[in-house]
Amino acid sequence: MNDYQSVYLALSAILFALGAFGVICRKDAIVVFLCVEIMLGAVNLAFVTFSRANQSAEGLFMVMCIMAVAGAEAAIGLSIFVLLYRKTGSINIDKFNLLKW
Amino acid sequence: MELLGIITCGGAALACALFVILSRNTVHSALWMVGNCLALGVLFLLLDSQFIAALQVIVYAGAIMMFIIYAIMMLNQRVSDEDSFRKSLLSGRFVVSFLFMVCLLGLGIGLSPMALKGTMGPHARVQYGEINLLANYIFVQGLAAFELVSVLLTAAVVGAVFLARRD
Amino acid sequence: MKFDLVRLIPIFPLVGVLINGLLGRRIVEKNKSLVHWIACGAVGLSFLVTLGLFVKLLGLPADKRLYDFTWFTWISSGVFHVNIGYQIDPLSMFMCMFVTGVGFLIHVYSIGYMSHDESYFRFFTYLNLFMFSMINLILADNFLLMFLGWEGVGLCSYLLISFWFSDLANAVAGKKAFVTNRVGDFFFAVGMLVLLTHLGAHGVWSLKFNDVFSHAYLLPPHLVTIICLLFFLGCTAKSAQIPLYIWLPDAMAGPTPVSALIHAATMVTAGVYFVARCNVLYSMSPFAMHVVAVVGALTAFFAATIAVTQNDIKKVLAYSTVSQLGYMFLGLGVGAFAAGLFHVLTHSFFKALLFLCSGCVIHAMGGEQDMRNMGGLRKKMPITFASMLIGTLAIAGLPGFSGFFSKDEILWQAYSSPQGSHILWLIGLLAAVMTAFYMFRLIFMTFFNECRASEEVQHHIHEAPKTMTVPLMVLSVLSIFGGLLGVPASLGGMNRVEHFLHPVFGLGAGKILQAAGGPSVIHKAVAQTAAEPHSFALEYELMLLTTLLVFAAIFAAYVLYVKKRDVPGRIAEGNPSFYQLLLNKWYIDEIYETVFINPLRAFSIFLWKGIDVVVIDGLVNSTAAFFVKCGNVCKSTQSGYVQRYAVSFMVGVFGLIAYFMYVR
Repeated sequence: MNDYQSVYLALSAILFALGAFGVICRKDAIVVFLCVEIMLGAVNLAFVTFSRANQSAEGLFMVMCIMAVAGAEAAIGLSIFVLLYRKTGSINIDKFNLLKW
Repeated sequence: MELLGIITCGGAALACALFVILSRNTVHSALWMVGNCLALGVLFLLLDSQFIAALQVIVYAGAIMMFIIYAIMMLNQRVSDEDSFRKSLLSGRFVVSFLFMVCLLGLGIGLSPMALKGTMGPHARVQYGEINLLANYIFVQGLAAFELVSVLLTAAVVGAVFLARRD
Repeated sequence: MKFDLVRLIPIFPLVGVLINGLLGRRIVEKNKSLVHWIACGAVGLSFLVTLGLFVKLLGLPADKRLYDFTWFTWISSGVFHVNIGYQIDPLSMFMCMFVTGVGFLIHVYSIGYMSHDESYFRFFTYLNLFMFSMINLILADNFLLMFLGWEGVGLCSYLLISFWFSDLANAVAGKKAFVTNRVGDFFFAVGMLVLLTHLGAHGVWSLKFNDVFSHAYLLPPHLVTIICLLFFLGCTAKSAQIPLYIWLPDAMAGPTPVSALIHAATMVTAGVYFVARCNVLYSMSPFAMHVVAVVGALTAFFAATIAVTQNDIKKVLAYSTVSQLGYMFLGLGVGAFAAGLFHVLTHSFFKALLFLCSGCVIHAMGGEQDMRNMGGLRKKMPITFASMLIGTLAIAGLPGFSGFFSKDEILWQAYSSPQGSHILWLIGLLAAVMTAFYMFRLIFMTFFNECRASEEVQHHIHEAPKTMTVPLMVLSVLSIFGGLLGVPASLGGMNRVEHFLHPVFGLGAGKILQAAGGPSVIHKAVAQTAAEPHSFALEYELMLLTTLLVFAAIFAAYVLYVKKRDVPGRIAEGNPSFYQLLLNKWYIDEIYETVFINPLRAFSIFLWKGIDVVVIDGLVNSTAAFFVKCGNVCKSTQSGYVQRYAVSFMVGVFGLIAYFMYVR
């Protein structure tokens, strides 16, 4: 237990919770997006911690995949924001409730 | 020594995350996000994952954050148009999310003992973190997934171009 | 001419209904006279067919005069069948003759009377529909088809009473008639069902008259009494007898031809017809017969007392109708079915005549119905006066006129029949005297003395047009000579009506039972009435007594309403409570209002406000409200906001993780 895994994991959990809090509470789409990135980072940290604890490359591979997904998400998400802003003049999440249709 | 690094960098990461959430200026949020990414990169180094740390700094703090800064620039929106976020901190929404946070922490702390079964021995530590270990994994077991990720990225690029073009 | 042509009799009016009812508005736009040509033509053709069949029936020997024409199956349910079928026998043809005949005359009269009305075609549509229903009622060979006609005439009565429905009083009168008739019809239907189920228990699943009557001996006597009383309750509503007569005076709100056709000549006699048709059943139950006789006599008397004080010309005639219907039931109740029906016939002549004359008067007076504002019309409307005088003489029962023979026959039977009694005869006699009095009061107030109407109204008074006077003349002739059909043996006559109807009544009915294996004579009274020759001397004496009293009543009316016209007012003032009692119709309406209608209304309001609104509506509404609330709760999960979805997503993830961590 000298490897401080529990510290890493606790740190990861706190980061994730902070990210989730931001996702739920902020209205600015860009900031929400950033908070999602924080959550992903927290997950990455957890993966690396587990990977080292288990002496396995799987966790590292997963982190790579997550980064790729994050990149794709950034590309798509940001272009959607740009489009949304162009069409409606706002990216305030509370102004859009189209998902119920 | 490692603990000191963890506390320093972890504290930095947490502080950066908090500022991301709390700052009113979107550009400031983005910049604090860069700080968060860098602090995570140092943590990865402390976890003996040099390659991932490099990726973190280059891809995250570099490329993705650049995207975001560009996007903010295109939106031409210095200060977010939401009502004062801090005022709504005591609203029901905040309470709910705070409860979720507590739950999350409880889960995370509850999860940790389970994950810590396989503590490595000192001899195994030698090989871990070497790039060939990861490369062996990627190009042997994870090849299909790796290729699929590349397809995903290509699709994302095409989609982003399609969405963002002026018609 | 074949008997199968009987189906044409109801078809013609039905066709008239369809043409005038569906296309009437267009026909009126093109050519208004076409409407009454169609309507009157339809009834006229029905009358001609009836006449042909009647002649053919007369050509047959008396015991062969029964023909049953089955048209098609109406209802078929297991062993129970009901046909649309028409029965031709002396009784049905007897009724059909004067219904179509008088109906035709009144149709013709309506051409003139309704000529200025906007809803011309609607009126004739209803009249034809009434004729169709009435013919069905009379000709039907089973209870159910008869009930159809029974309800149909009730409907037409309602439609025609409230014909000018924009006036609230007319609509209320129509509703009263309808509801009162529903009360009777309810008991009628119950009687029919009791009859059907109990005969069905003996294997006779039929409502056909012949089947029912020939198997009636299978029923226990008390059951027959119950059935007869239930049926009679239905008849009291339709024929305006105590206790359900209250609707008929109000029914005068309708146009006068309607009052003549439906509420005097034809529809209200349906009850008499029905009791006569069911004479087999009634003969089996002496108690029911007594009830019929007593109710009839009391109605005759009470209605006559009310008629004495009424000032509305049509109300007087209406109460007179009720009174005369009471006579008919008195006749039926003492076992003199033929006499009762004879009175139906003569009454339909002179009462239709009286109503049509009053219609002419009202028409001439511009809608005025109060006799106190009339008078002196004798000179201005000679034809109407003559006709009305004839009708009045007939109803008063002056010797030689039709009413004399029929009324006297009934009184004599009430006196002499084993079913009858001297009290019944005395009540009938009093009613006859009062009838003479109030009818001549009507004549004197309307046609004699000086005219009490305003100058403007007087200026417009004129004799009615041809279409209205010709039916009056025809009916006058019938009112005078119609009685000759039934001159009793004591006066040297043949009493043709009784002989003609004999196959249906009395021993004829007994034969039906005998043929089916029942007892030969159901009730001694019936047999005796039909067969026993009686001493003429007593009959002469009674006849003379009645006639003298009638003359005395006429003289009294002359004195009171022509010579000393201040006397009636002084009598009324001297005896105010009794006069008010009569003027307000013995307060029967008010009593019904308090005893039946108000509690029922209170109960209905309780059902409405208490049960319906609170319980039923409450259940329905709260069910709906419950689901609305559920929907509102569920709606918040479908807000469309990303962040709320994110929250539920996270909750789900936490739930799953917690489950796998702590539970498994």
